[in-house]
Formats: sequence, C-alpha cells, structure tokens
Amino acid sequence: MLATNAPAQMKPIAFTEFDLDNGLHVIVHEDRSTPIVAVSVMYHVGSKNEREDRRGFAHFFEHLLFEGSENIARGEFSKYVEGAGGVLNANTNGDRTYYYEVLPSNQLELGLWLESERMMHARVDQVGIDTQREVVKEERRQRYENQPYGSILIEVLKRAYTVHPYKWPTIGFMEDLNAASEKDYKDFYETYYVPNNAVLVVAGDVDPKEARRLVEAYFGPIARGRDLTRRQVEEPVLKGEVRDVVYDNIQLPAVVQAYRIPAYGTPDFYAVDMVNRLLSSGNSSRLQKALKDEQQKALYVGAFSFPFEDPGLAIAFAIANAGVDAQALEEAMDAEVLRLQQDLVQEEELAKLKAQLETEQVMDNARIAGVASNLASAYTFLGDARAASTEIERYLAITPKDIQRAATTYFNRDSRVVLHYLPKSQKN
Amino acid sequence: MSAAKRPNRLQLGVSLALAGLFMQPSMTFAQIDRRKAPEPGPAPQVTIGDHTAMDLPNGMKMIVVEDHRLPMVSVEVRFDQPPHVMGDLAAVPDLMGELLGAGTQWHTKAEIDESIDRLGARLSSGSNGVYAASLKKHFDKLLPIVFEVTARSTFPAEEFNKARDRYLSALKQREDDPDAIADEVARTLAYGKGHPYGEVVTPELVDKAARKHVAAYHKFHFRPEQGYLVFVGDITPAEARKLADRSFANWEVPEVVTDRSETGRISVDGLGELRLMLKVPRAGGVRSVSIVDRPGAPQSVVRVTFPVELNPADPRAAHAQVMNTILGGGVFNARLMQNLREDKAFTYGAYCSLQADRYVGRYTASTSVRTDVTDSAITEIMYEMERIREAPVTEEELTLVKNYLAGSFARSLEDPRTVARMVLRTYIDGLPPDHYDTYLQRLEAVTAEDVRRAAMVFLNPDQASVLVVGDKSAIGNRITPLSYRKSMAQLDVHGDPYREEVLPAPPGMTAEQVVEKYLEACGGSPTIAGIRDLHMRMTATMQGIPVTVDQYFSVPGKRLTVMRANGQELQREVLADGRAQRTSPTGTEDIIEMELEDMVFEAHPFPEERYAERGRMVLPGVVDLDGRKAYKVVMMADNGNGFTEYYDMESGFKLRREEFRTTAQGNLNIVTEYQDYRPENGIQFPHLIEQVAGMRMVLTVKEVAVNEGLDPALFVFEE
Repeated sequence: MLATNAPAQMKPIAFTEFDLDNGLHVIVHEDRSTPIVAVSVMYHVGSKNEREDRRGFAHFFEHLLFEGSENIARGEFSKYVEGAGGVLNANTNGDRTYYYEVLPSNQLELGLWLESERMMHARVDQVGIDTQREVVKEERRQRYENQPYGSILIEVLKRAYTVHPYKWPTIGFMEDLNAASEKDYKDFYETYYVPNNAVLVVAGDVDPKEARRLVEAYFGPIARGRDLTRRQVEEPVLKGEVRDVVYDNIQLPAVVQAYRIPAYGTPDFYAVDMVNRLLSSGNSSRLQKALKDEQQKALYVGAFSFPFEDPGLAIAFAIANAGVDAQALEEAMDAEVLRLQQDLVQEEELAKLKAQLETEQVMDNARIAGVASNLASAYTFLGDARAASTEIERYLAITPKDIQRAATTYFNRDSRVVLHYLPKSQKN
Repeated sequence: MSAAKRPNRLQLGVSLALAGLFMQPSMTFAQIDRRKAPEPGPAPQVTIGDHTAMDLPNGMKMIVVEDHRLPMVSVEVRFDQPPHVMGDLAAVPDLMGELLGAGTQWHTKAEIDESIDRLGARLSSGSNGVYAASLKKHFDKLLPIVFEVTARSTFPAEEFNKARDRYLSALKQREDDPDAIADEVARTLAYGKGHPYGEVVTPELVDKAARKHVAAYHKFHFRPEQGYLVFVGDITPAEARKLADRSFANWEVPEVVTDRSETGRISVDGLGELRLMLKVPRAGGVRSVSIVDRPGAPQSVVRVTFPVELNPADPRAAHAQVMNTILGGGVFNARLMQNLREDKAFTYGAYCSLQADRYVGRYTASTSVRTDVTDSAITEIMYEMERIREAPVTEEELTLVKNYLAGSFARSLEDPRTVARMVLRTYIDGLPPDHYDTYLQRLEAVTAEDVRRAAMVFLNPDQASVLVVGDKSAIGNRITPLSYRKSMAQLDVHGDPYREEVLPAPPGMTAEQVVEKYLEACGGSPTIAGIRDLHMRMTATMQGIPVTVDQYFSVPGKRLTVMRANGQELQREVLADGRAQRTSPTGTEDIIEMELEDMVFEAHPFPEERYAERGRMVLPGVVDLDGRKAYKVVMMADNGNGFTEYYDMESGFKLRREEFRTTAQGNLNIVTEYQDYRPENGIQFPHLIEQVAGMRMVLTVKEVAVNEGLDPALFVFEE
C-alpha cells in the first residue's frame, strides 16, 4: 500500500551554490520578504577533533575567534555587528563549529568582511586568551555544575563511549583549558580554520550575483589549507549494561538511559528517530501518556536522538514525581520500549508523527537564520544542501516494520548506559 | 597572472607580521580594502505589516495579521483584567491554566491530546490564555479544539488531583534550581508578597487550592468581554471570521462578580473576596542584601532589583530602553557585560532589564558568578548603575545602541507574530494606535542627556534589593558591607525569613548520649582507646591544583598535618608536648593561647572522648539536614571557642560541624561535613570531608593506617 508521502507543503528551499578555488563551498539563498540577511560559516571541526589532553579546546577556540583579526581590534567584532543593527553568535558541538550574523540586508558586505577576516587571519592576544579561559569556566559552572541534573550529559558520555572523543563533553574540563599553549592555537587554526574545511551560507534579501561577487572578493584571496585527514575512531560495541548512581543536589530522583545508535544520515538513524518520536513527541506519545498521565510516575519525560556524525546516542530522561523511586520509573520506561519491540505500530500512530514532522519542517525554516543553519548542516553532514528540504522524505518512508526492527536492534537492555540520579540525602 | 594569496594564519600577540607578501590585484577579485569595515548600502525600508481588528458580538476583540509567506496559522486567545491579590488562592490560576487541556464537556484529555497530535499541531495553555498553531491545511480543525479547551473545560476531579500532585513535584524541583529560586525570591523583594506580582506559590498554597476554585477562577478570568482572539499567518480576515463565528463569537459567560466596592474589593462566586492592588509598590527603605543558602554552590546567582514606575505609553519609555540597553540590555557591548565578563571574567553573562508595565514596572540586574567573587561582582554592578547616572553616556555607545535597537526592531518583523504582539499590546496597554509606527522616530531622537535623565529617574541603586542565591558559608561576611542596613538577611527558597526548624529530641536524650552513640557507631570506646597512632592521607583540589594532605596522630598529644602540592610543601602544622607551630613558605610561627588550647584537645583522632573537659554541651533538638534527621549538639567551650555539631539520628555518625574561630589570620566561620563512613581496622572513618573556611575544599580519604608505628622524628619543631 502506498503511503501518502506527498512531501510537506513547504516548498523546497531554493539556492545556488559554487566552490571557490581554495575549496570554500558557498551557498546563496534569496528571500526578499524581509530586508535582512544571515551570513554564516560552518567549520567542520568539533570536540571530536580534540586531543585527549585538550578537551574543550574547540569550544574555547570558538570564544577566541571573537577576539579580533589583523584588521579588527579586540572588542570590535561585536561592535561592528551590533552597531549595524545585527546580532551575532556561535555554537560548537562534537562535530562542527558554527558562526553566524543576522544583519539588515544593506550590511551584507560587513558580514562577509567579518567572516572572511576570521577565516583569513584571526588574532588573539594573551589578555583575550586569559579572559576567555575564565569565561568558559564560568559557562561550565553555570550550565552544568550549578544546575540540578546539570551533569547528566557529562556522566552519560563518559560511560557510553570508551575510546571515541565523544566520551568527553564539548565544554571540556578546566584542567585541560589551563594547559593549552600558543602552539596549540596556531596548529588548530591552521589545520581546521581553512576554506576547504568550511561552508559559507548567505541567506536573505540579497541579489545572488552581487553576493557572489562580494564573496569572491572577500574569501577568494584566502589560501587553501592542507588537506584534512579525518581519523576514524571505531568505538567498540557497548558490552553489557553500564549502570551507576549519581548523587546530586536534588529532591526528585531521575533516570537516564542511553543507547548507541547509527550515525546521522544513515537509513537506520531515521528509524531510530521515529522510535524516539513515538515515545515522546506530543502529549499523546507513549511515554507522555503512560508515565505522566496514566501512571503518574514522571513529572517530566523525554526521549531524543543525538545526531552525531559518527554513531551517536538515543537518550531517554525522566524526572520522577514526588514519592516515586527511580526503579519504578525505569521499569515504566522499559515497558514502553518493550511494547514497541513486541507490537507493530499502527499506521494511524505513524500518521501522527508524519503530521508533526511536516509542521516542524515549516517551523524550522520560518526564519532566515534557521534556513542558513539547515543548509549548512545538510551540506556538511549529508553532503548536499538540497537535503535540508528533502530529508523529511527519509522520515516519511519509515514503515511500522522499520520501527519495530530499530526498537529491537538498538534499544537493547544488554547494551546501554543507565544512570539513577538520586538525592544526596539517600547516600549511605 | 595569478595573485599571491595571503596565507591564513592566526596572529598571536600584538606584533604585526609584515611578511613582504602583498596582494596582486587580479581580474578575478574585486577591489576591496579589508583594512577597514565596508560601508553599508542604502538603508532598507522598514514596514510594519497591516492588521485587521473587529469586535465580535460577545465583546471579544478579534485581530488578524495576514502573512502568506509560510503555510502556517497561529491563534492566541488572551484574557486581560487588572491583577488581583489571590492570597490563599495563589496556586489557583496556574492550576487552571494547566487543566485547560485536561477534559471538556465532550472530550477527555487523552482524546484532546490525540486530536492535536493528529493535526501535527501545537497547543499550550496558561493562566492568561491559550496558544495554538498548525499548518494552514489543518487549521479549520484546530480552531474548534482551541475554543473547546478555552471555553468548555470542565476540570475533572481526577485530572485536578493529578495536576496538583505534579505541581507539588514541580515545586520540589524548583527548590533545587538556583535560577528559579533567584527569580522567585527577587520578585517578592521587588514587589512585596502582598502585591499580585510578588505572590509566591508554596506547597501549602497548592494544598489550599480546590477544584471548585479552579472552575470559579476560569469563569472569573476567561470572559469574552476581556478577551482577545488573535490570528496570525496564512489566513484572511474573512476566513478567520468565518471560523470564529462558528465558535468564539457567540460564547458567553454569566456574571460571577457579585459585589464591587470602592476600595477595590470584589466578591466572586466560588472564590470569595478578592482585592485589586491599588497601591503601587515603591522601593522601601535603604539598600538591602539577602541570601538564600545553597551549600557547596560553585556560583552565586545574583539579582539586583526594585520596582519602577514606568508606563509603556510614557514618552520617556524609549529613553529608558536606550539607557537600559547601554547598561546591560542584551548587546554584547553593554557595560555590565563588558565589565563583569570581558574585563573581569567573573561570569559567562551579566544583564539588566527595565520592564515597563501599566501597573508597576521593574528593574532587575542578573548574573551568575564564581562564588569567591560574589562581593566584587555586586560592587561592579552598583558601580555601573551609579556611573550611568553620574555622567552622560558616550556618543559611541549611544549610536551603537540606537542602531542595534533599530536593527532589532526591523529584524523582529521577520516573524508575523511580532506584529500581532504589537497590536495586542496597543490594545491591552492602551497605547496610541501609532505607537509602534512611530517607534523608530522616537528612538532616533534619544540624546545622551535623555539617557542620563532616565538613569536618574528610573535607576535606584541606593534602595535596591540585592539577592544572592549561593554558598553562605563560603561567602561569609563579605557581602554584608554592601547592605545599607548593616546586616544581611537570610531567606528560604520562598523568600520568607530563614528559620532553622528544631524539633524536640526524644525525651531523656542528652548531648552526652549523642556523642556516646557516635563513638559506639565508630567502633566503641575500648577500640578507640586502643589507637596508639594513625596516619590518614587525603587528596583534594584547591583552586584547580591537586593537593595531598597527610595527617598523623601519635597518642597522646602529638599531631602533624602536612599539605603538599606538586611535591612541594604548602603548609605544616605540628603539635607535641603542649607546643604547636605552623610553617608555610613565608615562615614559621608559634601557635599560642586559645588556638593552641583547642589543638591540644584535638590531638586525638576522636577528640569527642574529651568533650566533657572542654565545657558544657547542650542538645537543642533535632533538625533536618539535607533530608536526614540529625541531633544538634552545641558545645559551649570554657575558653569561648565553641562549636555546633550534627549527628545522624539513625546511624549516629557525625554529619557536620560549624565553628567560629578566632585565629591569628582573623575570624573564620568553618563548616565541615563528613560523609561516606567506612571501616578501617574495625574503626569507622568518614572518607569524604568537605570543609569551607572562606573557600571550599573537598578532601577524599585515600589511606588510613592504624597502629602501624610512626617515626617520632615526624613531630619535630623548626627552631
């Protein structure tokens, strides 16, 4: 039976693309509806490219790349953008570092100048290094250490991976941040911050011809970097269940379960993601309905895929309602996964997910900054920017049998990490 | 001809490398001069989209903002009336909002959830209304659900009980979240707990809320005559009206207010008497400092706040916005961010907000900083607040912020819901119809003098409430001087004065018995008396550096403590034959008087055996210590250096010790916590010790050697 896979109502994102001689890939998307433009660069480097004694370096480096360039003094980078009426930011994860500005469209050249300065000859002095090192430490404290359940990702990653760099969090560790040297910065920059390791996206109220002319003028003169050899780290299969208890400053226990899943972009990745959506996307989903409404075991529950370039994780997380213990919560979570393994999903339920995916696709691309980001990611990880529009088809093609198979293959009790987060008062 | 390409390189240091390489102009590359920022093109036009407004027959105001760029439609139903003091019913509005989707006259919660998900739609509800969105093709099916949820909810008893239990759990979770605590307590400090904006929901108040209150509040607040129905997106006014006519247009709610008095009191069916808040809160008294204790917190969450009289329609509102943005309003170049983050690296981010409000506005400065710079960070916040009042801002700052705000306004118009929000605010706040159309002009006109005047009028550093949610022991007395009241108030997580609750101990129980029980639990007096010598090795991290601490006891009367880092000795303390000495890289000094007396008492791994000799012990009662019941024992020492200890009621183990010590280095508040008791040679020792003495140190016990013999040469003095 043919599933009605009429692709989403969203029109495919139109764009032109070209390569510069130095290897920089450029994508230009024209959208005249609002007089703004997003200029962004995605460098294909993340925390998985770090040395084991320099954990957190890629993200620290992201901070440093706001410190200026040969032509831009310290503190001026953000002044240029904000003074032009724009916003700027960046983010880093295990696989890539992403910088973007959103500016009024008459400031396109400013955005290109800033990003090309960054790529061509960024500049950092000791004051900047010392300051940003302390700022990153405060970021770590604020987001991970001073939050209830804040350490979950760190605790999961270090048990879910044994050799792969994903085993440490992108934020890194304070002692490694202290150890970085001048040579480290130079090497990192010259290796990874090169046009042949990057994609530039210009999206918004632009004339594609004019955009191309400016891109060539600003980025053309940047020298190509060395060819990158990406070392493949084979992470062995997780043998057995890794269980542990973490005591935290909390009153409500929580359960975290992590399963290893295929890399982003593989057919099974989408099947696994559908399993997670079935489990927790929408109030009528399996976990929400069973654990929150019917059994009242969970105050909060969610199941997500972490899409990594190398095989990633599916993580389920639940916070218990007062009076419910971690064991009971875990059993309830496992029961829902078991149901998916045993009983084929009905088409009706699948249709719900597909409706949600259609809405999500439109919402993710509602703003020009979102479009730019999606184009950059699709190019970098799926090899083709068109996938930003067509990826939904991979979801819509998933069948009930695919879901059952994915649930059985990957959500395996004998190969997972399970953590119970318990109140410190329960220690001893 | 080929161009010589500049190699890209990371420049470190101030020196510029003039490499003799230069760019050959090439036909491929346009002529640009990258040594300076490029000039912008002509500024684009900023147009605010149109909207249609109409009144429905039942008094609801309907607004449509048409935008066909995306095949999406959203709808917001919003209710507005002056805020009332809810008192004992403070939990009711939130519960009502939560229960809106939980069952109607025609459908159960499960059926509603299913319907929403089938449409791929989103629906959320709160105490002031409902919001929903979907793709255009599903919207005609979505709106009836929105109406049903808004107007036909029945708040089934079973769902009410579940929602109430979830609320209680959620409150527990918020008690662990320093940002949530800070936001809530800061609210009570700014407005006072008697004002609708300052009311706080506690577990007791959740218990006071009943299902009938929820139903009554719904009829009181969700009424067409105070309702707005806002459509945004891929929909025409005619289409929207057609959908509204089938549902919202004829919805009516019978009157529930039975009595209104001049003094703002009303009687409401099912809710009793409610009060309008007629008095506007003003910053009371002089600057205060309050703390909510979170032992062990690596950061302090800081709020500086006070109420502000600033109506959104006030002609000075744009001046105030520019002033707040220069000070700390979200631009990276704001003064708070540049000072606390880029200059001092105290924090990942520091901000302030100045909220205009019809009834009463508010200023709040927020940041999370490393615990040991809490006092410095607050000082800098005050400094910046004072500086912007004392001197006009620079032209550079003014221009940057005005450009930023203008650009931000333009960028926000990418989302059609921005226009809807503006229209709604125009109606709700009673703004002139062209308020947003003329915003950019008002912004352009703001001068440095306007900004300074706004700072003088709206900033109030001398009457601010300063709140810290952080480690009280580690911060010590350092933030008290920032208060103009000469003292710091300690508050609990709900903003009430902190009171340690002490319950009576079981009758007949004495402090001596508690200590005896502890010694029993550790192995018993005979075993303890059999200790001749002991060596304990501990590791810790001090300011990022790993240290080792070795402690040696030789019974009687000899003790040595050595702290090392990187193989070098940091500090040594030795006690023998009634004499004691402390050695550090700066030199050696004798320990004398009270400090020496105490050291002599503590010359045994179990000094509790000699407590009776030190002074009088009392047992005030039993307290809750992180969820465990503990005996509180107070030692009133003859020499004045007393301390308080807490012993676990169940296991007997010592959990905590607090002492205020006068030393040669000054006064110190020392708090020590003992965890992870494990036996060594038949004697129980804590293997995790957390001590705060100005800064926090966590010691892990690695080795314990009992009666293995110690070299007497360990206990020698420097002469």
